[in-house]
Parts: sequence; C-alpha cells; structure tokens
Amino acid sequence: MSLSTMLSTMAAGMLRTCGIFILTLAGSLPLGMIVALLRKSHFPVVRLLTRAYISVIRGTPLMLQLLVWYFGPYYLFGLSIRGWRFPALIIGFVLNYAAYFAEIYRGGIESIPVGQYEACEVLGYSKSQTFMRIILPQVIKRIMPSVTNEVITLVKDTSLAFTLAYQEVFSLAKQISASQTSFTPFVIAGVFYFLANYVVAFVMERIEKALDYYR
Amino acid sequence: MIIEMKNIQKQFGGLEVLRDISFGVDNGEVVSIIGPSGSGKSTLLRCATFLETIDGGEILYMGEKAAHTDESGKAVYVHHKDLRRFRSYCGLVFQQFNLFPHYSVLKNLTDAPIEVQHRSREEAEESAMELLRKMGIADKAKAYPYQLSGGQQQRVAIARALAMKPQILFFDEPTSALDPELTGEVLKVIRQLADEKMTMVVVTHEMPFAKAVSNRVIFMDGGVIVEQGDPRDVFDDPKEERTKQFLRVFER
Repeated sequence: MSLSTMLSTMAAGMLRTCGIFILTLAGSLPLGMIVALLRKSHFPVVRLLTRAYISVIRGTPLMLQLLVWYFGPYYLFGLSIRGWRFPALIIGFVLNYAAYFAEIYRGGIESIPVGQYEACEVLGYSKSQTFMRIILPQVIKRIMPSVTNEVITLVKDTSLAFTLAYQEVFSLAKQISASQTSFTPFVIAGVFYFLANYVVAFVMERIEKALDYYR
Repeated sequence: MIIEMKNIQKQFGGLEVLRDISFGVDNGEVVSIIGPSGSGKSTLLRCATFLETIDGGEILYMGEKAAHTDESGKAVYVHHKDLRRFRSYCGLVFQQFNLFPHYSVLKNLTDAPIEVQHRSREEAEESAMELLRKMGIADKAKAYPYQLSGGQQQRVAIARALAMKPQILFFDEPTSALDPELTGEVLKVIRQLADEKMTMVVVTHEMPFAKAVSNRVIFMDGGVIVEQGDPRDVFDDPKEERTKQFLRVFER
C-alpha cells in the first residue's frame, strides 16, 4: 500500500472521528445542562436518579459502556443489532460526556454568588430570565478551562470506537498496520489526533479571550 | 403609607430573628435603622423586599396586602404574579453591590427596565444616563463593574435600583463594604435623594449620617424595636438603657 493510499484511507477515517466528536459535543453539552439542573430538582426521586446515573457513568469504563450499548439490545431483548453500531456509539459517548459536563456545570452554577440571584429577584427577573441572562453567561466563563480539558479528552476518547469495530482513524491505523506490517499508520494517526487537538485548543482559547472583557 | 409591616415574626431554625415587629414608612420619609449586628435589621429589610418570607404578621404596600397571617397562624403571600407587582414597588441596595459583572454599567441599569418592565430601549437608556449623571458617573456608562472603585460600584447599584422607578428604596448597610474614604461619596448621593424626597429606609452604622439625613431613627436589638423617634431625640436623649449603651460605643 502506497503512502498516499494510506493517507487518504486514514483521512476518511479521521472524518468519521470528527463525526463522533461533533455529534458527541452537540448532544452532551446541552444534555449535561439538563442533567445538572435535574440534579438540583425539587423532587428527591429525580435528584436520586440523576446522581445514580452520574455515579454509574463515572464509575465504569467508557469502553465497557460502549459494549453494553451495542450488544445490550441483543443480549437483553434479543433484538437485531444490524445498523445499530453507529447509534450505539453516539449514545454511549453522549451519555458519558453529559455526565461529566453536568458535574462541570454544577460546579460553575454553585460558584455564582447568591447575591446575583438576590439582585435578580429584587429587580423582578423571572427564574428563566435570571438563569439565561445573568447566571449562565457567568457560568460559561468560569467553566471554560474545565470544558477545554474535557473536549481535548474527547478527541482522544473517540479512539475507543474501535471496540465496536467502527472504522474511525484509530481502528484503521490498527488494521493497516497489521496488514502492511508497518509502523507508519500509528505515526499518521498520532499526527491527526495532535492536529485535531491543536485546533480545539486554538478555538477554546479564542472563546476564553472573547469572554475576557469582564472579571 | 408606602409600606406597613405589622407584627412581623421571622425565625431561622428555631432562632427568633424578628419578634412582633411593626413599622411603617410614609411617602417622602427617610428612616434609619440602627442597632448591633444580629439584631434583625437586615432580616427586616429582606422581609420587606420579599427576599425572605415572614412566619407571621402582615405586609402592606400602598395599603394593599402582600402577605397576611391566616386563621391557622401561617403567613400567606399573594399569588406570585401579584407579588411581582409588589416587588416593583421596592428597590434594594445591597452591602455587596451585587452588580452584574458581565454587563456594562449602562446595561446594568437598562436590562431590567427593558426585560422586566418592557420599557423601550431608548427611554430606558435615556433615563439611565440621567441617573448616572446624577450619581456623578456618567463617564463610566461603558465601563464594566470590575473597572470601578467600590464607591462607584455602589453608586451604580443605587442607580440600578432607581432605574426601576420604585416607590421606596431600601439600603442594607450600603457603605459597610467600602473603604472609609469612599463612604462619603455614597452617603452624599443618598443625602441628595433624601433632599428630593425619595422614600428610603437605610440600615446603617454611620451615626452622624443617620442623624443628619433621616426623619426618624429606629433602634433595633434582639429582634425588637427598642426605641424610635426623631433622630435628635434618639441620639441626644435616648430613653432606653439599651440604646444609651449602644450609642456610647459609637461615641468613643
């Protein structure tokens, strides 16, 4: 296999990696906020369930969770899992990352001084106005460093998709390396991941800078 | 009367903070509340502005009931939609300013008038600038709170409360978080508001200010009003032993 074929095959894999990455963020960033809010719900049952969810997600390996989501429908319900590979993958990633984001959001929300809520209350803001206009913007600024960490971890975690034999860049690197008895695919994969994270770090830094106009 | 509070009771985990307090404020009146810390001054203000709920008693704004005690002895508030109207009657200036750090000074003043009171942006900004001029900080309209001194921040906070056009303005130790050299500028604008007959209730430790500016002084201790009256009487000729004792500390 020529280097250029190797590169183009792996670039296609990298596109699939990006797909996992983008879909996971698109799902888990908002879902994490919902989970964070449910964790502070007025209903004890809801609080208990969300805490259990976060605890299970954080207490088990993501690789295992992916296998459960993929094979679960077959072993538990005898359902066919044809075409289920990619949905299972995304569900696994989204639910995993939502739990971590939820904890980051919670920390951010709890770090906002109670005086901000009181000022809103006295000025007559509704609960949703208070959250959307006053609290959330400040939370976002405060949690940016932790979110950046998590997003960079996600870029690398996408490689766990190989457990479900999804043809993203890491799976391909392994396959090509084995079939061609070559070390080069690993180097290419490494460069791809590094470049992806370089872009992520750059973007996140720009966002942090944009939020630098106040303290 | 702008506000009337009758037989107010408030407990925090079994600790009685307010014991049967009654007081009212007339239109244009400036009332100072003094007393040792833990006497219930701030709690009274927080109950008046609906940040805390009372356990018993009655709160009336402009003669209209916002909360009362029912037959079973429980305090009942009006529906939360009506409560919003009662909230709009009063403003509160906090000890810690509590400005919105992500908003410019101007937006701190205009956001609630636009979003809550649905006033036009143009009108809200115009009246905000007018207030800032009055507070002597019109040049800071585009600045962010962190760029201002404590005294300037507190003046912005006062302007933000006034921007809602409240009937009555409460101050919870407005100068206690400020360096001594910055208290003067804040007290000056409060005095200016008093001259314009703004109805105000000020919890303060600034005795000379309370004496000079207020029409009435209330001395609170242990969750009750120990003594109240004309500031000259209360400060120069207090009747109650507890008041004398408290004021003596300030004379030293």
